[in-house]
This record gives sequence, structure tokens and C-alpha cells, in this order.
Amino acid sequence: MIKVTDLKKLYGQQLAVDHISFEIKKGEVVGFLGPNGAGKSTTMKIITGALAPTSGIAQVGGFDVFENPIEVKKKIGYLPETPPVYSDMYVFDFLNYVAQLKGVESQKLKAQVDMALEKTQLTGVKNRLIHNLSKGFRQRVGIAQALVSDPEILILDEPTVGLDPKQVSEIRHLINQLKGYHTIILSTHILPEVEATCERVIIINKGKIVAQDSLAALTKLRSGREKVFLSVRRSEGVFEGLKQLPFVAQVENSKESYQFEVTIQNQETDVDLLARWVLDHSHGLIEIKPVQSNLEEVFLNLTYGQKTEI
Amino acid sequence: MSKIFPNKGIVNRIVVSKGTYAIFKKEIKGFLTSPNFLLVAALTATIMSWVFPNMLRMFDIQAKSAQFGGAQGPSQALNIHYGLFLRHLSYVNLILIFIVPALTMKLFSEEKKLKTFDLLLTSPVTSAQIVTGKLLAALSAVGVVMLVTLLYPISTRTFAEFSWSTLLVAYLGIFLVAAVYTSMDLFCSSLTESGILAYVLAVILNVFIWFIGMGVDVVDSSLARAIFEHISLNQHLSGMVEGTLRTTGLIYFSSLIFLFGFLAERVVESARWR
Repeated sequence: MIKVTDLKKLYGQQLAVDHISFEIKKGEVVGFLGPNGAGKSTTMKIITGALAPTSGIAQVGGFDVFENPIEVKKKIGYLPETPPVYSDMYVFDFLNYVAQLKGVESQKLKAQVDMALEKTQLTGVKNRLIHNLSKGFRQRVGIAQALVSDPEILILDEPTVGLDPKQVSEIRHLINQLKGYHTIILSTHILPEVEATCERVIIINKGKIVAQDSLAALTKLRSGREKVFLSVRRSEGVFEGLKQLPFVAQVENSKESYQFEVTIQNQETDVDLLARWVLDHSHGLIEIKPVQSNLEEVFLNLTYGQKTEI
Repeated sequence: MSKIFPNKGIVNRIVVSKGTYAIFKKEIKGFLTSPNFLLVAALTATIMSWVFPNMLRMFDIQAKSAQFGGAQGPSQALNIHYGLFLRHLSYVNLILIFIVPALTMKLFSEEKKLKTFDLLLTSPVTSAQIVTGKLLAALSAVGVVMLVTLLYPISTRTFAEFSWSTLLVAYLGIFLVAAVYTSMDLFCSSLTESGILAYVLAVILNVFIWFIGMGVDVVDSSLARAIFEHISLNQHLSGMVEGTLRTTGLIYFSSLIFLFGFLAERVVESARWR
């Protein structure tokens, strides 16, 4: 559906995208992950045709973005970083305008606008001025304008940025609902978002792709080792004891003396062994749990980790 | 040839396209509902209501003194088209220099500032269609203001005889001048994110292009004179005020409108290449 080959973008002397290549199949939900300024937005803008690459090819649905921009743009619904809404327009009028701009036929116009309003749960505010809407609602209007032409591809640039937690979860829920109908690319620098919505992740740093794989494969990237968080009542000798266990690779003492981060070889079996060891030595088990955000570590290793090497 | 014009009937595609129409409709609605436009129209009406009766009185005095005391000065001044409407149009022109930029300044700069420009760039419309839609909308808005100013000469009809067609040709002339301003000012708006800057730039250009005709009185060589006469808006307009339509004038005005429309299109397109 989307094929990007050897894409490069220079802003003056600044290299924003450095020979990126990837492919996205129809119906996939792909997350673009990377720190701020990694080149996520630039790549997305190039795919939507808002920006021309310095070199390289971007193809959407078999059409080259720069030879057949009109055909490509008909297939894409795009939500930029700042939702492109006119604050002096009413929600309904605005969506109507976008639908016309995107070439929706006049017979389907009303149905399409209603569909977009419904999917984003904006029906209640459709007769309000966008100026008077809260940021969360504006963001939803932004998503609605991307949806209104019922495009095959949805490109969402940081769709949850600046929203409160409830709105964030609503937008994630919405994206999950849209799965299957559209091919979705979404960019973010927030990990749980990718974990919550995407099937595949492309991690970008400094304009380069540092990893691209399915979510499951990426989390396993950490060579099978898992970290667990351990908390005990009586901590004397625990640190030393843990170190000597055969299945424990590494032990870190947390801030509190009775809390430890233990790296074990295999989460499935070794957690049991660890728990049994604590109980057998009557250290008083309070808590044992896997350390969350495995992807986060992958991400940090791949992006910021690289930075320190340089 | 087919490489330069890959699409058959390119004009047709630009003007009749749905995208152009959608943009046109949205901008028109924007004008009609914005206090900015109403303010501009009201201001124009106020100035005209102040100035026009004065001019009318002056003309009346001139005509009367000619009647009783014999003609003083050129007899042309006793023709209502010269003595009144020409002056009226020069005031209209003066107002246009300042209000056309007020109408056009936001058309592109605001889009850039609000980042809605991305929406246009990622919609299935060409840059030419975007500019055409906005230009047509701005022309309509300017047209409405011109209609307001046309009320004054029309009202004169209640007590003076004059030729309708001459007045209408004169108004076509000033409308073309306004269209040149519109196209130029739209181009200014496309250059910047700041509405104020677009306004200032546009006024400077408007004043400049109007005063460029002054060159006629400044230079000596006949060639330079001829050139200035041709590029002077005033020169072309004054022919139309007399009621004569010349193709040179029409072509000159339309090529200026097209030129700046084209430049604006280039600027819009260049946003992709930064």
C-alpha cells in the first residue's frame, strides 16, 4: 500500500530524513516511534505530498506521490501535529468543507460527514464554533477531518499529544475501532500508545530507521532476559543471597533497601524459583512483579542509547 | 507541448474543479460572516457618503458659474463623467489601495499561521486551484465593496442625465484595477505568516504600481514615455473612464492579474520544497 524507498530530506544543511526505506501493507496499523525531532513528521509529510523529498521515492497504492499527487491525496486522510481547523468555522461546516475539498461526491456528502461525526463522537457539538471547543475536541475534529473522505490510509501525527488521560484513552479506543477499515500510520514518542494500538513498529532516530518489526518481536529483542521487581520485609542478606542464585543474572538494589530489581534468565520458570527462594529463606515476600515497559527499554536502547555512543 | 500541458483543457480543470469551488465557497462564507469585511464595507460607505456630496457640490458650483459667468478652465470639467465620476473613481481607487489588502491579507497568511495550510497541501487540489479559488472569492468580496461605491453615481441619476454605458465601462475599468490589486495582494499574503506584514507589503505594492505611471511626467525620452504610458494603470483606466474599451488595456490588466496569480501559485507550490 505504501512503499518508501531510499527517502532523504534535507532542510538546508540539516538532514531530517536519512535514506529511509520501508513498506506498509494494506490494513496494517503501524506506529512511527522516535524522540522529538527524529524525522517522523517529515516522513509523514512526504508520504502525504505536503513536502517533497530531496531524493528517493514514495509510493502510495502504486502511485508515485510526486507524479500523481492528486490520486495519492484522494487515498489519504492526514492529521498533522496541529489539527488543521479553522477556529471561525462551525464543526459541521468545517467537515463539510473538507469533504468537498477532498472530492467527496455531493450525494454522499452528508452521509460521510455524519459518519465522521459519529465515529469521533462529535455529533453533540456539530453546531458549535471550533474556537469554543476544548483541545481534546479540537483534536477529535482533526481526526474527523482526516476520516471524512473515508480514505484508505489514515496518517495521524501524534494524535494524543496534549490531551488529558481520559481523552488519550478515548482516542486510542477510536484508533482501535478504525483498525481493519483503514491502513493506519501513527507517529508518537509515547510508548504505551504504540503498545495499545499498533501491530508493527518502526523506530526512527536521527532520520534513520533503527528497528522495524512486530511489537512482539521487538519486545523480545532484549535477548530473552527479563527483569522483575522484588520487595521483601527483611532485607538482611538478600542482596548477597540473590547474587549467588544460578538463574539470576543481575541484581540492582533500589532506593529502598528492601526493594530489588532482579534480572532473570527466563520469566516463566525463574519467577517461581525466585519466589520459592525468598519464602524458603523467610525474607518475607511482599511483592514480586515483572518490570513493565519492556518496549521502553528497547526504545531507549535504540534511540538514546545510540546517542551516548556518539 | 503535451509535456508542458499534461492535462487537456487545463483552464477547464482549474476553474470548474470541485476543489476550487469548495475553497471559493468557504472563503466567500468567511468574508460574509467576518466582521472584518463588514467593517471594510461600512468604512467605504462612510467615507464615500462624506466625500461624494462634497464633490457633487463642487461640480454644481462649477457648472453654475459656467452657466452664468462664462466658462472658466477646460470645458471638459463640465462633463459629469470628468467633473464628477472621474474624481469619484480616483477616491474609490485611493480607498481600494488600503482596503483590498485588508480583505486579502489573511487569505494565505492565516492558513500558514494556523497550520491549516497543510490541509490544503494534502488535499487533492492543485496549487493553481487553491489560488484560483481564493482569488475568485477575494474578487467577489472586492466586487461587493465596489457595488457599494457604485450606489453614489447611481443616486446622481435622480437629478442628472448621463450615459449609463460610459459609467459602467468606467466601473469595469476601476474593477479591473481592483482585480490587479487583489491578485497582487493575494500574492503578498502568500509570502508571509503575518497578516500585518502581508497588509503593509500589499499597500506598498499597490501604491507603487499606481505611482509608477507618474513616470510619464518625469522622463524625457519618447521611448521611456511610451513604456511608462503602457505600464501606467492610470493611463489605461482614464481611457475607460471616457467610455472607450481598448484591448491593450484589457490585456494589460488581465496579464497583471494572471502574473501575480501565477506568482502566488508558485509560492504555494514552493511550500512543498522547503
